[in-house]
Amino acid sequence: MSEYISNPDEAREFQGRYRTLYIFIITIISIFFMRLIWLQVIQGNELRHYSEKNRIKQNKILAPRGLILDREGKALIENLPGFEVIVSPQYLESIKDLANTVGPILGMEPPKVIEKIQRSKRLNGPFATVRLKDNLSREEVFRLKRIRLDTPGLEIRESILRHYPLKENGSQLFGYVGEISKTEIPKLNAKYKNELIFAQSDIIGKSGLEEHLERDIRGTDGVSFIQVDAHGRETITEIPNIYGEQIKDQEPTHGNSAYLTLDREIQEAAYKAMSSRGRIGGVIAMKSNGEVLAWLNTPAFNPNDFATETPTKVWNKLTSDPFKPFRNKVIQDHFSPGSTFKPFVALAALQDNVITDKTTMFAPGRFYFGGRWYHNHNKNGEGYVTVYDAIERSSNVFFYHMGIKLGVDKMYNYISLLGIGQRTKIEMAREAAGRLPNSEWKKATRGEEWQPGENLSTAIGQGYVTVTPLQMAIAYNTIATEGKVVKPFIVKKVVDHEGKVLLERFPEIVRDITLPQPNGYKIDPQNFKIVKEAMRRVANGPAGTARALKIPGVQIAGKTGTAQVMSFSADQIYSLCENRPIQSRHHGWFIGWAPWDKPEITVAVLAQHSCHGSSGAGVVVRDIMETYFKKYHPELIAEGLKKKDPRAKKAAAAAAPADEE
Amino acid sequence: MAFRSVNISERNFLNRLDIRLILLIFCLNVIGLFNLYSATHGPHSNDVEPLFVQQIVWLLGGWTIFFILTFLDYLWVNKIVWLIYILNVGALIYTDLMGKVVLGGQRWIDLHFFRYQPSETMKLCIILLLSRILVNRNPMGYGMGLRELLLPAVLIFIPFALTVKQPDLGTAMMLMFIGGTMLFFVKIRKSIIIFIATLALIAIPLAWKYGLKEYQRNRIFTFLSPDQDPHGTGYNSIQSKIAVGSGKFFGKGFRMGTQSQLEFLPERHTDFIFSVLSEEWGFVGSIIVLLTFAFLFKVCFEISLQARDKYGALIVIGVTAYIFWHMFVNIGMVIGLLPIVGVPLPLLSYGGSGMLTTMVGLGLVSSIAYRRYLF
Repeated sequence: MSEYISNPDEAREFQGRYRTLYIFIITIISIFFMRLIWLQVIQGNELRHYSEKNRIKQNKILAPRGLILDREGKALIENLPGFEVIVSPQYLESIKDLANTVGPILGMEPPKVIEKIQRSKRLNGPFATVRLKDNLSREEVFRLKRIRLDTPGLEIRESILRHYPLKENGSQLFGYVGEISKTEIPKLNAKYKNELIFAQSDIIGKSGLEEHLERDIRGTDGVSFIQVDAHGRETITEIPNIYGEQIKDQEPTHGNSAYLTLDREIQEAAYKAMSSRGRIGGVIAMKSNGEVLAWLNTPAFNPNDFATETPTKVWNKLTSDPFKPFRNKVIQDHFSPGSTFKPFVALAALQDNVITDKTTMFAPGRFYFGGRWYHNHNKNGEGYVTVYDAIERSSNVFFYHMGIKLGVDKMYNYISLLGIGQRTKIEMAREAAGRLPNSEWKKATRGEEWQPGENLSTAIGQGYVTVTPLQMAIAYNTIATEGKVVKPFIVKKVVDHEGKVLLERFPEIVRDITLPQPNGYKIDPQNFKIVKEAMRRVANGPAGTARALKIPGVQIAGKTGTAQVMSFSADQIYSLCENRPIQSRHHGWFIGWAPWDKPEITVAVLAQHSCHGSSGAGVVVRDIMETYFKKYHPELIAEGLKKKDPRAKKAAAAAAPADEE
Repeated sequence: MAFRSVNISERNFLNRLDIRLILLIFCLNVIGLFNLYSATHGPHSNDVEPLFVQQIVWLLGGWTIFFILTFLDYLWVNKIVWLIYILNVGALIYTDLMGKVVLGGQRWIDLHFFRYQPSETMKLCIILLLSRILVNRNPMGYGMGLRELLLPAVLIFIPFALTVKQPDLGTAMMLMFIGGTMLFFVKIRKSIIIFIATLALIAIPLAWKYGLKEYQRNRIFTFLSPDQDPHGTGYNSIQSKIAVGSGKFFGKGFRMGTQSQLEFLPERHTDFIFSVLSEEWGFVGSIIVLLTFAFLFKVCFEISLQARDKYGALIVIGVTAYIFWHMFVNIGMVIGLLPIVGVPLPLLSYGGSGMLTTMVGLGLVSSIAYRRYLF
């Protein structure tokens, strides 16, 4: 059956073929040998690096942002520990499966989960993690942890939730935080070049102080290195770390804390005074040295809604609100000052010797000038008045005379000394300058000559002149302190996590306008004293427009004002403001300080569409000041209460509703 | 080759065994088991994996058959080789019709205790059948012509076609390579070789268009440029290269291969077993395995050359071709020289059919060595 290899020729031929085969095999093995040298010896280090990159994942350890505290260290913005659920799309086996298992746990529709992941993949690429939900409940964390091991790419992480204990109160000032968007990354990296580095999924301040203080309160994120398997799951082994010392975990550095000049108690009282009356507008309270004590706007948004994902409903409601809950009206919007402008005109008239404090003027109910009637808010007029009476009772006609006598350019020269029409340079973004007109301005912007009639409207704070509440506070504070224009500020100091003070700010007087200023004008102390006395009478005189505003033991000085939202005909002027639709009602102003002779606190309140200065805005000012003096000078209040005998109190209460311009 | 006269009576039982062959196989087995242990045991498993225990069982079975075959005269196979072939083809047809579908291929018959893969035993079958047929095919030494080649070609083509249909291109290719090597060894006329080469050149584009499935075409694309789709089809190839290269000269150490332990390497106990070895034992380990194979081939050629008869010589050539081509395709793929084809590495990869087939083949080689001429 079998054939032996007996033929020597064939045997020789066989040997040849053995050799051919063997050479072929050796050649192949040599090629493999060389390939192994290439991969393992020549490219070895590089490929080892790739294998390390495969298994070592950098995890960012979020650094908490610094706290924002009030002047006494009470929290205004704090951090709460929480949990968030993160998805790494690259490790997902099936987005659909994930959505179906995770969606019900988180109370999200599966298609919404899919959409969220797809959207992030589109915007940020497949390797960026997606934050599915923040601020998980304990139940959610527990249920997610159970499915985690079977769901590659799913991760539960500790997170830090920014919390705003004051909620809506002051939200435009404090701002809110949110995840950085892809377009913001290059912008912020350019802005904070060499200082901060921003990367995907970072939480940043989006507005207000959160945005403004980014540099100070942002912490440095730490890094931890963990070993993951091919499915992105963390694994622990004894496999040594070839990077050794180089990749030690880095602990995060807590952001610095900022102490504000704000007083939380006063801030809360201010918010209560506004919101309990349903007031819309802006409030600024500051110490006479420029330290801001309270700052808020109504209506407002709740920044806690923005710390996690904002529900569309909430967002739509906020953006469609006609009273603009996102506006920081204290500095971003400017309004007609109305009668609150009169003290400035009085200062100008006194300083320019147009009048003295003895000069009297006849102030009827209306005034004919340049072919038309100018109205007084009080139909019956005030009779013969001095500058004291004119301010106490807010006479329009008196100030029409002042306007005519001074002319716009003189008013401009004096009043600009007080800071009207200029930014206060407070450390907040997007401050509006307001407008203080003069003839030059009108020619430049409107191309028209200044009309004599416009002097009249300007003198009573209507017309072109517009101001921000903060400007008014500064200007009134200048009257209160008899000439000292201060620079308002809100950040007192920045302290690192070890308590070291990195930055501290002190009150600053920008200028003393009792001394001649660059434009050659000044206002003498005795003129301030006259106007201060007049403004004391506003709240304390028998005919004062704000005589209802009383704090036991402390005398308030200030001025009411109403700013027309639109022009009305003569009969409409005297119709009842409350009968109009809310958006055409007057804005009420009250700006004042206390105690009138030794000023400590200055408050400006704009109560939009509240119709009246005193009962609209003044009551808010009174409440704020009362809180201030109860806290810082309880002895004054106690003394005031002791002095007041019960009968006089009753009488005062009966007279109280009397109001107004 | 020097002719040396040895008295047969001098040779006792142990002397007649080819100890080198046995030692080389044993060496590869030991390396294989260590490596398989690492590949099958995750970073935290303290229990022994059933997969690993099974491989030991196959190995013990394999060695038992190896020694039984060693002491049987291999000529008995002749009597039943046709029957085996026919049964095996039957099993292949059965598999194609109702076999178990695993990983997109219909390759196994489930025997409950064992998943039998007929295409694997077919490789051995082809070796034995071709050896028997080819013994008489080239009596004059001119090489085989078309007439002589017809029957062997048909016998290779039937299982080839059935395996392609499964589809298991890797195994089908192995059948062709093994058969082809044996035909080459017996000698084919030059004109025929040129004819076949021309035919192949025409057939390749046609096969590309009509014969290959989408995934098979993708694999070849991936091989040509693996970086185009690193997370899709190129993933295996890239991860394997990283595993091999990252082992560097001395390797990461036993069970320290991060690529394999952390599952970046796919199919690490079967097709990519050599990556595990290269990662954990480095260049040194890889070269030791390659050299061991090279020695094994050398020993096999010597046994073939000294075979008692041409039939035995051809069987040894067939078995050598079987081991070599598997090694070539498998390692070539793992180190990124060849496209990804699912072919195991003999004696190292996990797998019962493969292990038993290899050990039967080597048992026959040992039997042939036991009965070789010693001059």
